[in-house]
Amino acid sequence: MKPSRIVLAILVIAGIVAPFTALIPGWTVGLATIVYLNALSAIGLNLIFGVTGMLALGQAAFMVVPAYCVGILDNFGIPFFVSVAAGLAVTLVLAKYTGRLFVRLPGIYLAVGTLGFGYFVEGVARGFPSFSGGASGLIFERGRGIGDHFWYAIALIALIAGMFIYIRLVRGAFWRRLRTIHHDELAAAVLGIHVGKTKERVFLIGAAFAAVAGLLKAYYVGLAIPEDGGVDRSLEQLAMVMVGGPGYFFGPLFGTAVLQWLFVITGYAQSYVLLVYGAVFLAAVLYLKDGIAGWVAKGWHELERRLDGPKTAVTTVTAVTAAPPVAANLAQRGDLRRSGKCLEVSDISKRFKGVLALDRVGFSVDFGEIFTIVGPNGAGKSTLFNIISGIEPPSGGEVKVAGNDVDSLSISERARFIGRSFQIARLVPDLTVVENVSVRLDQIAANLTESQRLATAHEQIASFGLARVADTVVSKLSAGQHKLVDLTRAAVGNPALVLLDEPAVGLTADELEHLKSLLLELQTRGSAVVIVEHNIEFVAEVARRGIVLDGGRPIASGLTTEILADETVREAYFGALL
Amino acid sequence: MNPLTQAIMSGIMMGAVYAMLSIGLVIVYQTAHVINLAHGETYSIAGSVVATVAAAQVLPIWVAILAAIAAAIVFSIAVERFLLRPRHAWSHNALILITLAAALFIHGVLYTLIGSDAVSFPRLVSGAPFRIAGGALPPQGLLLVVVGFVLALAVPLFLSGTPLGRQLRAAAENPDAAQLMGVNVDRARVLAFGIAGAYGAIGAVLLVPLVSVDFHTGLDMTMRGFIAAALAGMSPLWAILCSLGLGLGEAFVTTYFGTLAKDPIVFFILIGIAVWRSRNIRFGGTRRA
Repeated sequence: MKPSRIVLAILVIAGIVAPFTALIPGWTVGLATIVYLNALSAIGLNLIFGVTGMLALGQAAFMVVPAYCVGILDNFGIPFFVSVAAGLAVTLVLAKYTGRLFVRLPGIYLAVGTLGFGYFVEGVARGFPSFSGGASGLIFERGRGIGDHFWYAIALIALIAGMFIYIRLVRGAFWRRLRTIHHDELAAAVLGIHVGKTKERVFLIGAAFAAVAGLLKAYYVGLAIPEDGGVDRSLEQLAMVMVGGPGYFFGPLFGTAVLQWLFVITGYAQSYVLLVYGAVFLAAVLYLKDGIAGWVAKGWHELERRLDGPKTAVTTVTAVTAAPPVAANLAQRGDLRRSGKCLEVSDISKRFKGVLALDRVGFSVDFGEIFTIVGPNGAGKSTLFNIISGIEPPSGGEVKVAGNDVDSLSISERARFIGRSFQIARLVPDLTVVENVSVRLDQIAANLTESQRLATAHEQIASFGLARVADTVVSKLSAGQHKLVDLTRAAVGNPALVLLDEPAVGLTADELEHLKSLLLELQTRGSAVVIVEHNIEFVAEVARRGIVLDGGRPIASGLTTEILADETVREAYFGALL
Repeated sequence: MNPLTQAIMSGIMMGAVYAMLSIGLVIVYQTAHVINLAHGETYSIAGSVVATVAAAQVLPIWVAILAAIAAAIVFSIAVERFLLRPRHAWSHNALILITLAAALFIHGVLYTLIGSDAVSFPRLVSGAPFRIAGGALPPQGLLLVVVGFVLALAVPLFLSGTPLGRQLRAAAENPDAAQLMGVNVDRARVLAFGIAGAYGAIGAVLLVPLVSVDFHTGLDMTMRGFIAAALAGMSPLWAILCSLGLGLGEAFVTTYFGTLAKDPIVFFILIGIAVWRSRNIRFGGTRRA
């Protein structure tokens, strides 16, 4: 066993035993029980807010809803386990539909919607006193007979079970998907992630943590009052996640322990507590991006390095040697047609508030062909790309990809056929290069195992000359490398169509050579490639055919050598550039 | 007493306050593209300041009012200048969270200042209420309705009818282009936050003598203002109408179902807004407003 593991085990045991000693003032068995239960709920909020980036302000409401349901049913004499099942079911249904309504709208709607849900729950709990006990609360008798030490064990087991479920669930492809959504929803959709569905699911899972925690807490405390589900308690949960370190595994536990302990030692009822609490929250939002868990993680890594010595080779390297044939199989997958027309754009128009951005643009691109769209700034090239990838609806005309009519498909559904890069690379900065590329494979090669996908990503990265940085976090790469990684991500898994938005901008001469070989590679694999580019020499070298847009109108199309020599094109394009 | 006319009257009064609050949210959104969750705090700050100063009975009430409006304006501008502007590159949700944290901080400040109980101060205009068709409207309420709607209506006129107003809108639509054309975007935002702060404060000065304020009224007010603004699709003129509708709707619910139904009903309105807004979502829920 590594020395660091032994230290970790000692720390965990010390943490569990601590409430039985009087070493930390105020840290009693009772407080620790409450902390564990609140932390269990905060794990759910950490998943929603810390990992996925959804601002939800109703976590406490999802804690009291099951408690009230079970308590009321229990009082009616319905068998306990039936009412528990019913209470949890009601909560999950409420969470499911609240999520479905609000998560697809801009962030503020979820924030205010969940805030409103808190008001709703609090108001209903207060408004039907004959069922809910009104303002004085609902009493839960069943937990009274259980001793404090026993409750402590229950809470601890529930927390550990919750942490175990969390860590089994939020890893690999799911973790990468959530981080991508957190960082950039549009890029996530273009990669093929069903953003709305995924966020809905995360919201539901998060609420489930709250439901279980809230139910246990109500029976432990023996009372639920309307304020327990209100805005202040939900904001408290958010503060716990913020202070603990959003997105960190131990964040919810650290944040809850520290905040609740502070509440106790400062005296909850003292008039300055709310001020201190507000100041701590504000400071955490403004200055504490990684919270307590961020500091602890840094310190822990340092300690690990000293105790265990430098880390040995990364495990993924062995995976690469184990599974290279997968990529080859992927290239020859039978489900994609690889001859004839790949992209057919017919009569596409786009109007923005009366301005015609695209005027009946039409062209087609064959499989295994590199095609280019050129034109001065504002010619409508990016709009055209956005229409093909589904980001903007066209005002008229239609788009077919690999024989499929994609007009009715969402961005993420189209992404099955389309890989796309962006003018300014939209990578997830806190994931490594391999992870960024794998996100794409997670979506289009879901039949592969995790290790096969990582291996394929590694292989693709290596074939584009980026093997050296494969395990580097993206935020540490140069601008040119960003660009190449974005390209790799667009090309991985051999989508039928690859759209590249100004791929050559900002590349060094060496990187430009890389890019050329990459494009040829894509061509031999049978993908259709469409490039929007300003570097005319580069375009003339790689693309055989193309189209020239000016002010939204196609002014020339055909072989690149011919259209770039055309007089009107030179005037429109080079005139505008000078 | 006729409950229907009484409900209409209190609905119009609340509508005037919501109009002033939602117009502040809209003008800030239009220039800075942020929903300011600390906006309602301008209301509770102003209300608390007047109440505290009035209770001390050393200064005349108009000094207290001016001080309250000034405090709200300073707070509102401080949110823009010191919290949001240095972090303009942060994500949308992060900016919303900052404004929420500012609101929470103000809750703490007000709790320390006025405690947990609701506070109020004497009416600015006294006298017997006007009795119309079985309903009673105090002179203070009439003042509130007139001032509220006139001030609220002034904003759309200002935005579309004056050069400064057009600059504000230009600053919102394309900050970079506006900057190039000589519009001082930072100044435009400060102006917007300042106006919003003043409106929230004036709303409090007029309404608090009738309904009192406590340390977390601000968030309720933000939410009401947001609902009206969201119903209106962030258009200033519609926001006034929607505020009136919200005020009337709440008054009817309170009159016919009791005060306790007021908060739950807000959630149903939010659901309605979400359903209405969702009709535009075609592409897998990835678009931003």
